[in-house]
Amino acid sequence: MTTQTTELRMPPKPRNRWRTAAIVAALCTFTVLTCLPAIGGVELDFAGMVRNWANGADKMGELLRPDFSFLPRTITPMLETLAMAVAGAALAAAASIPLTLWAARPSNPNRVTRQVVRFIINVNRAVPDLVFAMVLVAMVGVGVLPGLITLFLFDVGVVVKLVSEAIEGADHHYIEAGQAAGGTQSQINKATLLPQSWTLYANQWLYSLELNVRISAILGIVGAGGIGRLLDERRGFYAYDDVSVIILEILVVVMIIELCSNLLRSRLR
Amino acid sequence: MTEAASTTQPDGVATPWSITLEDVSVTYPNGTRALRGVSAHIEAGEMVSIVGLSGSGKSTLIRTINGLVPATSGRVVVGGHEVTGLRGRALRQLRGHIGMIFQSFNLADRTSVLNNVLVGRFAHTPSYRTLLGLTSAADKELALRCLDSVGMLEKVWARAGALSGGQKQRVAIARALCQQPSVMLADEPVASLDPPTAHAVMGDLARINAERDLTVLINIHMMDLARQYSRRMIGLRDGEIVYDGPAASATDADFEQIYDRPIQSRDRMGSAL
Ligand SMILES: Nc1ncnc2c1ncn2[C@@H]1O[C@H](COP(=O)(O)OP(=O)(O)OP(=O)(O)O)[C@@H](O)[C@H]1O
Ligand SMILES: [Mg+2]
Repeated sequence: MTTQTTELRMPPKPRNRWRTAAIVAALCTFTVLTCLPAIGGVELDFAGMVRNWANGADKMGELLRPDFSFLPRTITPMLETLAMAVAGAALAAAASIPLTLWAARPSNPNRVTRQVVRFIINVNRAVPDLVFAMVLVAMVGVGVLPGLITLFLFDVGVVVKLVSEAIEGADHHYIEAGQAAGGTQSQINKATLLPQSWTLYANQWLYSLELNVRISAILGIVGAGGIGRLLDERRGFYAYDDVSVIILEILVVVMIIELCSNLLRSRLR
Repeated sequence: MTEAASTTQPDGVATPWSITLEDVSVTYPNGTRALRGVSAHIEAGEMVSIVGLSGSGKSTLIRTINGLVPATSGRVVVGGHEVTGLRGRALRQLRGHIGMIFQSFNLADRTSVLNNVLVGRFAHTPSYRTLLGLTSAADKELALRCLDSVGMLEKVWARAGALSGGQKQRVAIARALCQQPSVMLADEPVASLDPPTAHAVMGDLARINAERDLTVLINIHMMDLARQYSRRMIGLRDGEIVYDGPAASATDADFEQIYDRPIQSRDRMGSAL
């Protein structure tokens, strides 16, 4: 074998050095500008932070001494929160099936209906969950129901957006076969696209359940039931030892839910 | 389409349909002229192979027959039904009588072989029954028979994605057979298979053509397969028919006409059986 080395002539790699530099410069400028109070930027009061440090340290100290005798009183609200999270996720899962099919191009070739569903979902997603909760508390009263509806709306937004995008990102050669066999779009969706996509759904359903436990913990602050309400109440009484117990409990529950959800997800193929 | 329904004989095997193309042209929305004035007549029960270079318009031609690609001008008539201009329900009904198999099999990988074969019953099933997941006993029986006829019955509960390429193509053939079609279209059915499997699948198609007396149209790359399994060959070049005649007696000049160069050994798959 001859090992004569002819020099490889590589085509020059395209460089965008100027563009990169311009983007970095723009980002830096923007960041600096947003911190200039003179032109409406946020005011960073470093001196204030230092002054109030002791104050914060005190509270941290209290938080580090949880009063576990408070634990029994948290059980019922925690179960309420879990019920809210599970029911919200389950209802959203059911609603997300048809909505996602309407929002994704492979399952809905009709541009008009697709855009309408997407628009509604985007509006829904643009509203912060706390705002939903506040409005709903005003509408249906304090308790679990406004929390449940908030979680439902939030989950539908998350699942429909993520799953419809995942469906659009995947190959669907079998759709052509369904069309060639004379199938309607709904037949194709039900018999092939749904079985093909159900792991995408299941992943997001579990993810929305995880999010729900976390979110429902704070929804209580605006009166939407569950552990959050208790948290807000104890914080109002400056009972940081109780607050600490609640936070730890939320942490543990979230971790357990996440563990279960990860276990289930790893079984999805 | 009562006329079409009446072509199904009592034993469940449909009567074959003829295909007529009259001056068919296809221009894609991006301006590509994929077919230019193609005319051909294919008798009911014939098995015809379509050869040509990549991009010559083979896939386009075969898709105009079931309306997956609409003809821009000209007429396509299948079994007495004019495809051009059909849409909606009428088009779906017609497609129900035209089976099709694909190079990449086009199965739903995450569902069972049986569910994939039942896709062949779409046009013969009311939508609400599919939506409710109701399968008639007759349809299921038919699906099992079709699987059996391509030797895949034992895989009926397997996930389609867990099969080998050759097995997938057989399931796809079963899916098309399950339509009880009058015409079978095949777009490079063996292009992603190894030589022995390719021969087996071509053999299946030839057998279906002979046993069920079904009109079969096959796009194919390999000259020797085209010659071995079909009597008539249509050669396409740049969207025009440049050869239409017996597959066996095509001369070197004919090949040069189709492929723009003399035939070479690498155009053959070889008898790797
Ligand atoms: N959906 C489409 N949109 C635009 N142009 C297309 C489309 N499908 C095919 N074409 C073009 O039409 C011409 C014929 O394509 P066609 O797929 O029919 O060729 P082919 O003979 O099947 O090729 P191959 O052997 O590679 O499958 C090609 O130039 C191709 O680029
Ligand atoms: Mg092709």
